[in-house]
Amino acid sequence: MLGFIKKDLLMIKSNIKIFAVLLLIYVAMAFQGQMDLSFLLPFMSVMIMMSTFSYDAFNKWDAYAVTMPNGRKNSVRAKYLATIILISITTIIITVLSLIISYTKNNTIDFENIIGTIFGSLFATILLQSLIYPAMYKFGPEKARIGLMTIIFSIAVIGGFLINYIDLSSIIKMLDFIGEYLIIIFSMVMIIMLYISYKISQKIYLKKEM
Amino acid sequence: MENILEIRNLCKKYKEFELQDVNITLPKGMIMGFIGENGAGKTTTIKAILDIIRNYTGEIKVFGYDNRKDNKKIKEDIGAVLDDMFFPEILTPNDINNIMKDIYKNWDSELYFKYLNDFGLPKTKQIKTFSKGMRKKLEIATAISHHPKLLILDEPTAGLDPIARNEVIDIFQSFIQNEECSIFLSSHITTDLEHIADYITFINSGKIILSKTREELLEDFGIVKCSKEEFEKIDKKDFIKYKKSKYEYDILVENKKDFYKKYGINTIDRITLEELMVLMIKGEE
Repeated sequence: MLGFIKKDLLMIKSNIKIFAVLLLIYVAMAFQGQMDLSFLLPFMSVMIMMSTFSYDAFNKWDAYAVTMPNGRKNSVRAKYLATIILISITTIIITVLSLIISYTKNNTIDFENIIGTIFGSLFATILLQSLIYPAMYKFGPEKARIGLMTIIFSIAVIGGFLINYIDLSSIIKMLDFIGEYLIIIFSMVMIIMLYISYKISQKIYLKKEM
Repeated sequence: MENILEIRNLCKKYKEFELQDVNITLPKGMIMGFIGENGAGKTTTIKAILDIIRNYTGEIKVFGYDNRKDNKKIKEDIGAVLDDMFFPEILTPNDINNIMKDIYKNWDSELYFKYLNDFGLPKTKQIKTFSKGMRKKLEIATAISHHPKLLILDEPTAGLDPIARNEVIDIFQSFIQNEECSIFLSSHITTDLEHIADYITFINSGKIILSKTREELLEDFGIVKCSKEEFEKIDKKDFIKYKKSKYEYDILVENKKDFYKKYGINTIDRITLEELMVLMIKGEE
């Protein structure tokens, strides 16, 4: 099992330079106030993990992994665990950088606001990855990538459409109502989403003809 | 003799291709060469043994265990080299060692690095910088470094130059010195199999058409070269296939000595696996 996780992490390490450069550019932009760094969390995590799926598909790793002990089970489990490790590291880096940027620019740390924004991004990250992974296993990275774009586009279009018809103040009131439980509730939703996604991916993979 | 691999009535249907009742038995300590033209069903059979494809009927036993139910038990002792299926190419041989030592209980880093040295493979370069031959050698080194008891190899010598092919064949031969170990390998390079295989199994259009020991094939089988007049006198039951060339007939016979006794034709050559393949596929009945 550990070997399979290592494989994904070593792949990420091999491409780390590209993502480090991207991070530097965004940090520079964030310093100039051109963008919010929390946006990077879903963007980078999804991009990095999708690149591992693409390399896997290119070298038919999935078929090769099946030749190893418990390859079918461990390969999927490792992908989800590697994702959790990656998201944890990215979240820590982005939180620390956001706090530093906030302090350097304003001489104070708007802790609540930063954590709130990053938590929102974290939720978006988990939601995207939970949706995309089963599609990756079922249809392969090429088709799943198109699916991802469609999901993002649909969310933007439907969201934009609904915003005109929904009374936002009632939603804000509702969120205020659950206020102190908000983080707990959303954390649980994230865990459940990821777990269901994992179960679906594993079911697909266990039956898959490579 | 104990069998390390047993395939019984394996059937697998695709839209345009079908494996039909494939039966194979590989005894312990032996090398079986699996031959056939492209698309004959070699890779599909290998994929079924390794559980890479699932929706098939029939039974596959490895080390006496069911290949699907007892997956974990048998995979520890199998090493595989597959055509174009390997680690993602951004990884390095060092990465592979790091990964494999946590996948196989018996992974032997020392042995793995010894093979890398013997093959002259760099340890820290990404696989994508390797030539096809280097990649194949890395795949072989990876497949045998956890001391497997069964090696399943799909075209392991394809893309290798003659020197590398010899090195690889030497490794297979030293692997088989341990009587507990066996090799099941498919190859187009039939001359390699003539040197190392104990058994030859021939698949054509999804069906096993021949499975014999190498001695039986190379010593007993033969090609009779004869004229049209001589050919017309031969009973159809006494040959397997024939091919008509410009001046003579090439006839594939199962037993050279019996044929000579019966017909007195002494222009009978020893057969090579390549000739056997061509005659079995292209010859007429």
